[in-house]
Amino acid sequence: MEITFDHVTHSYNPNSPTANLGLDDVSFTIKDKLFTAIVGQTGSGKSTLVRHINALLKPTSGNIKVGERVITSETNNKNLKPLRKQVGMVFQFPENQLFEDTVEKDIMFGPMNFGASEEEARESAHKMIKMVGLDETYLTQSPFDLSGGQMRRVAIAGVLASDPETIILDEPTAGLDPVGRKEIMELFKGLQEEGKTIILITHNMDDVADYADEMAVIHRGKLITEGLPKEVFNNQDLLKEDLLTLPKSAAFAKELSKKGFQFDKLPITIDELGIEIKQQLNGD
Amino acid sequence: MDKIILGRYLPGDSLIYRLDPRGKFLLTFYFVGIVFLANNVASYAFLLAFVLFAVYLSKINLGFFIKGLKPVFWLILFTVVLQLLFTPSSHPIWHWGIFTLSKEGMVIAGYIFMRFILIIFISTLLTLTTTPIEISDSIESILKPLKKVRFPVTQVALMLSIALRFVPLLVDETTKIMDAQRARGVDFGEGGIIKRIKSFVPILIPLFVSSFSIAYDLAIAMESRGYKDGEGRSKYRVLSWSKRDNLMVIFMAAVTIILLFLRSY
Amino acid sequence: MEKIISIKDLNYTYPDAKHPAINNLSLDIYKNEWVSIVGKNGSGKSTLTKLIDGLIEAESGTIAIDGQIINEDNIWEARTKIGIVFQNPDHQFVGATVEDDVAFGLENQGIPRDKMVTEVDEALKLVKMSDFKKRDPQSLSGGQKQRVAIAGVLATKPQIIIMDESTSMLDPDGRRTVLNLVQQLRQEQDLTIISITHDIEETELSQRIVVINDGKIVQDGKPVEIYDLGSNLRKFGLEEPFTNKLISTLGDKLKLPEGYLNEEELKQQLWKLHSIM
Ligand SMILES: Nc1ncnc2c1ncn2[C@@H]1O[C@H](COP(=O)(O)OP(=O)(O)OP(=O)(O)O)[C@@H](O)[C@H]1O
Ligand SMILES: Nc1ncnc2c1ncn2[C@@H]1O[C@H](COP(=O)(O)OP(=O)(O)OP(=O)(O)O)[C@@H](O)[C@H]1O
Ligand SMILES: [Mg+2]
Ligand SMILES: [Mg+2]
Repeated sequence: MEITFDHVTHSYNPNSPTANLGLDDVSFTIKDKLFTAIVGQTGSGKSTLVRHINALLKPTSGNIKVGERVITSETNNKNLKPLRKQVGMVFQFPENQLFEDTVEKDIMFGPMNFGASEEEARESAHKMIKMVGLDETYLTQSPFDLSGGQMRRVAIAGVLASDPETIILDEPTAGLDPVGRKEIMELFKGLQEEGKTIILITHNMDDVADYADEMAVIHRGKLITEGLPKEVFNNQDLLKEDLLTLPKSAAFAKELSKKGFQFDKLPITIDELGIEIKQQLNGD
Repeated sequence: MDKIILGRYLPGDSLIYRLDPRGKFLLTFYFVGIVFLANNVASYAFLLAFVLFAVYLSKINLGFFIKGLKPVFWLILFTVVLQLLFTPSSHPIWHWGIFTLSKEGMVIAGYIFMRFILIIFISTLLTLTTTPIEISDSIESILKPLKKVRFPVTQVALMLSIALRFVPLLVDETTKIMDAQRARGVDFGEGGIIKRIKSFVPILIPLFVSSFSIAYDLAIAMESRGYKDGEGRSKYRVLSWSKRDNLMVIFMAAVTIILLFLRSY
Repeated sequence: MEKIISIKDLNYTYPDAKHPAINNLSLDIYKNEWVSIVGKNGSGKSTLTKLIDGLIEAESGTIAIDGQIINEDNIWEARTKIGIVFQNPDHQFVGATVEDDVAFGLENQGIPRDKMVTEVDEALKLVKMSDFKKRDPQSLSGGQKQRVAIAGVLATKPQIIIMDESTSMLDPDGRRTVLNLVQQLRQEQDLTIISITHDIEETELSQRIVVINDGKIVQDGKPVEIYDLGSNLRKFGLEEPFTNKLISTLGDKLKLPEGYLNEEELKQQLWKLHSIM
């Protein structure tokens, strides 16, 4: 599903002296079936932005098109289920949403809210638990007896179980160890390969370089740039103003270029960097 | 949650902000007391003038005070209508079944309405210009004499201030959990009463779990910074009573005298 | 070198847990060291922190802080020597404003008010948050809150600062400022730093890395020695350092020295290779 933001502005507490613009006239398109990363400093408006996609927040002005559906300030709170079924959302520390007495019931909760039969929901739970790297024996346990990392996986399974077409991830790997983080990121990449649209909010630029097809940079509620990660990380203006941190490979390449090495464009992944260095050293 | 004005602090600076919170706190209570002394148009008008003057001194937009009425709007309306229709009278203007509309009824309803306005405005003024922590400090200071009878004043005050610190965290947490469950297809406030109550289970359990873990984290953080049991602590925040606070008390005394005079006018 | 923390044969099992969270662990930490503690989720890092600060009580074994074995009677004194900065900035902010929060530890020690005022100011200056003195926590960013937390810890003049994933919820910018600040303070104030982290790059700042797995110490050495473990690091939930990964993609054709190279060294080597081409 293609998602289009058209001059979207969101003001928190409008008409009060504590009003602040969470989003300021944002227009851009998130392409279907791609992996889009959204980056920006703390408080820049990333979470505010993505909460509009499943109408948890509504724009103060402007509109958002999600497939056929249009969300405006007038959008009614009723009848949002079809939209929320299509757009799944994994929040930061998603383990905080668990509440049922077994893992299975918790995973089934979403699909059943969206109208699946008990059978279908159960089937989906069995499929998803494996998908997130746990085995079926976990289904009968209480989610509260699991470790943090396992709870995180169950929560993610609970979102995936409704089979959303678009999956929004708001810093889903915070607090996980690197091995766990990598496994979760690979899981999302796999989902994309199955034809889902993935939107990821992250502070980890290496993940952006490694996994994203497109990226958008938000600063103080404004979209300041979007495009291919390779282009965006090579945008000198942004780097000069310190609005963006480079992935490690790009930062290292930039260092290398101080003496001898030359890069038309900074490579952003280790593989790219390796190839470029080899080429420049072997002269081929 | 964002719409409730009563009980909210609004950052700002003016004479009213700078008053000692203890004085503000006690004078507000005192004022609520004397509102009940008003008994005629003149005395109510005088008190309203006083409140509006205080609002003016606070430099806060009157709109905030009017918004403060919102949450209790129905309560006010109900009470006023009750007075309007049920005040017994010997000269009813209109009469239907058990309902009576009379001049006396209208006057009493008007007074009640005025009382609501006065009380809500003055307490909104207190909370808008005084941080919760100042209020909790005031309570501690006012209750200090109770220490003599072994009442744990310091602990209670700290408990109060931690509770105050907890409120925004919990509000935040609630919003997050509600959002997460909404995204999983929960509709709050839809369907029959049973369904509505049921829809809160997915909120309450996670909220319970996370408030426990926040409380645990906070307790660990406090203990690691050497918080024992509230004894032997010194205090960083001090309240200072100044000339303008004295002035305020004198001013309030004058208001009382004028009010008593107007009562029998 | 003088030992500031000395842990011997420590054991701890949470009530109702099947496995011990800390399993016969011994560890010495020296004055002015920066030690990184790393390991998988659930390996026991935070539990160890809580034991060191006496927030939970060990089943067996001893912990000595600054030469004194801690027990119920002297734990409060020991605690004044240790400051902990936790992971979640929101869950450790006690005060209603920045200055109140910084003062909290001092209040607990019963420091007179005049002295507190100057010490709060000093601590805020150290973390460059003086301008935010009167602000309430909700109006601060995560990085700013963590700096306030550090100020609160510094105000009580501890000898040891423990950071339990204190930078993990921050953006790269916030992370960098907090780490630089801690490094600078360690040098200026002769502090001992224990930092718990999942970020391998962060461990480069330290003199020593301790790897914990299932409540036991499985590796303990200089960063270079630990990084040399290569892909074995994954067993402990860790990532290989960037330079290791880069070197392995470069293949063996390039003549690079054996063993771990940090970014600066690798850069120099590559420049050298480039110049003789
Ligand atoms: N419920 C709210 N009420 C008022 N202001 C809010 C609310 N939620 C967010 N804001 C403000 O809106 C701005 C954008 O916040 P948002 O949470 O979207 O940032 P973010 O980019 O997701 O940050 P982070 O990286 O910390 O998650 C911030 O200035 C924040 O303080
Ligand atoms: N309050 C608790 N009650 C019961 N068990 C606990 C508690 N806290 C931790 N544990 C368990 O003790 C073990 C060690 O946990 P600990 O929190 O020390 O790990 P950690 O290394 O800090 O992990 P992380 O990287 O996730 O922070 C884990 O198996 C965990 O599940
Ligand atoms: Mg966010
Ligand atoms: Mg931990």
